[in-house]
Amino acid sequence: MPSSFKKYQIHFLLFIVILILSVLAYTQSGWDLVGDGFVQGLTILIRELPLLTAAFLTAGFLQALVKKEFITQWLGADAGIKGILLACLGGGLIPGGPYAYYPIASALLKSGAGLGVLIAFVSAKNLWAFSRVPLEIAILGTTITIRRFLITFLIPPLMGIFAEKLFGRRINNIREKI
Amino acid sequence: MNSATIILWVIAGVLLLFSWKDGTETVKRGGVLAWETTKQNGLLILLAFIIVGFVNILSPEELVRTWIGPNTGLLGILLAELIGMFLPGGPYVVFPLIAILFEAGAGFAPVITLITSWATQSFLTISFELPFMGWRFTILRWGMGLVIPLTAGIVAILFWG
Repeated sequence: MPSSFKKYQIHFLLFIVILILSVLAYTQSGWDLVGDGFVQGLTILIRELPLLTAAFLTAGFLQALVKKEFITQWLGADAGIKGILLACLGGGLIPGGPYAYYPIASALLKSGAGLGVLIAFVSAKNLWAFSRVPLEIAILGTTITIRRFLITFLIPPLMGIFAEKLFGRRINNIREKI
Repeated sequence: MNSATIILWVIAGVLLLFSWKDGTETVKRGGVLAWETTKQNGLLILLAFIIVGFVNILSPEELVRTWIGPNTGLLGILLAELIGMFLPGGPYVVFPLIAILFEAGAGFAPVITLITSWATQSFLTISFELPFMGWRFTILRWGMGLVIPLTAGIVAILFWG
């Protein structure tokens, strides 16, 4: 594969998705809706700019601050269960959407965090998400929220442990190929 | 400005203070790293947000409502996992949608599966995961995650019918 294509393959993929969505919008109500799609996307982007800026700054300073030894000891492949639990706690506490936590996860990956730790971080963000719970209770009710939380509570650490055991040694390959 | 933004700015501020204590060199390096991440991912973020915009205006609520019914057992759970992947946007958009489905008579277990699938398997999230984490991580996490909503739904059936 030519390197320029490799560099832009994700751009290309997202572009194709936009194209498909544009066609869907066009068949639903013509060019107006296609225009609406772009305007809506840009509006949300502008609305989220303060959050994005904070996320990128956090990711940058985190990378600059955190010493290799700390990552190796606490979040590296050899950190074991304590690294995974720490990542779960961090993931559960970090607020904001995917454009906020993936830059942070990416910074941890580049700094040397292990695969299990990263999977646990993302999974806890998705399933524990403490800052989302009040909204979930308000809209879906206490019963659904508590049962959902209890059922999925053990999943983030388990995912981390399994991922580390099964694929942990591939982390360098993953790190090189971002 | 919402609370997530404020909390993240506080975290960024605290990290900046620690960098400051570490020396101006660290502050500079942090700024450069933040800027490089922004430059590297700027276009991708723009594309990802356009996708979010389209998913928002295409309003798939109607489709979702016709697909999922009450007491559908395992099939309902499978379907709920699939629908969850396509649910658009953040909790402010998705939770009200799921609440409507529940009131319309969707089963308890499919609803649990739906929330879990949206949380872990959402395709919209992948538009952000791919650029930052790369193909390999994304496929691995998403692939392993496929069993989570199903398991959650089955556990819900076992405990609460």
